[in-house]
Amino acid sequence: MAMPVARAVVEGFYKVLANSDFAALAPYLADDVVWTISGPVDVLPFCGPRRGKDLVLKLLARDIPVFLAKRSLVPTITLIDGDRAAVFGKLTASRGDINRVISYRICQFVRFENNKVVEYLSLIDSFDAVEQVLGKQITAPGGVCAGDGELVAV
Amino acid sequence: MNYTLTRDVLDAFYKAYATREIDKIAPFIHDDIEWTISGPVDYLPFCGTHSGKVAVMDMIENKVKAVLRTFSFVPESIVIDGDRVAMLSRQSARRTKDGVTISYRVANVMRFKDDKVIENFSLIDSYDAVEQVLGQPLAAGNGARAGSGEFVTV
Repeated sequence: MAMPVARAVVEGFYKVLANSDFAALAPYLADDVVWTISGPVDVLPFCGPRRGKDLVLKLLARDIPVFLAKRSLVPTITLIDGDRAAVFGKLTASRGDINRVISYRICQFVRFENNKVVEYLSLIDSFDAVEQVLGKQITAPGGVCAGDGELVAV
Repeated sequence: MNYTLTRDVLDAFYKAYATREIDKIAPFIHDDIEWTISGPVDYLPFCGTHSGKVAVMDMIENKVKAVLRTFSFVPESIVIDGDRVAMLSRQSARRTKDGVTISYRVANVMRFKDDKVIENFSLIDSYDAVEQVLGQPLAAGNGARAGSGEFVTV
């Protein structure tokens, strides 16, 4: 049976993650951690899976800040159950190049082993995130939307 | 005394919800429910906030089914804590207009009261979902990419 994670560990992990304190974050990560941000990799290159502590730290400390600076995670709901935790909240950041503030909802599912993160999966409202990060409205070719069995002009 | 969601109640709800059959789901829906699906309403008309049992039932029975027919809803992670649960699931469906299979991850963050869902927030990888529902890549993926100040062709 999996060892339950202590609430203090989850809270400690999220405190350093929310503050982007990556030196303090490192001890919370298992060496073989798998860190996945769900989203379109071709548009948001920081999406997709990263395997291993070094790649995850590089992602968080170097790769993501190229696109999103001054990241701040504000959890609104934190749930802990056995070896798992889930956090629902809002991520706020600024686009590094033009200093525009963006904000989108995020839900994270984390699994711990021996009080270290071994799996992290983040779901984001990726359509909203892409529009904000690119700074433009997404349009489907032909201006279509999903409707009652038909595609209709919008 | 505060309500505590049990695994048995959640399992019964999940089993009913996975069928997408209104008669099975209805007993688990609180009259005062608020059900929000994060995503672009222009492309996925079932997104947005639905308040009250009648509106939520209409959303499940009509608005979603006008776009897609879910045939599989498989849990990947379930985190129960107090009166709340966060569920990460893989949803597979057929597009209503042509029967093409689509699949994406969805997170449900729910609050229960008296063994019924009174609050739900669904977060989907909405960019992926829109592309699959429309059956074509979105314009943002056509050469646009989030970069350090410039959009580059990828």
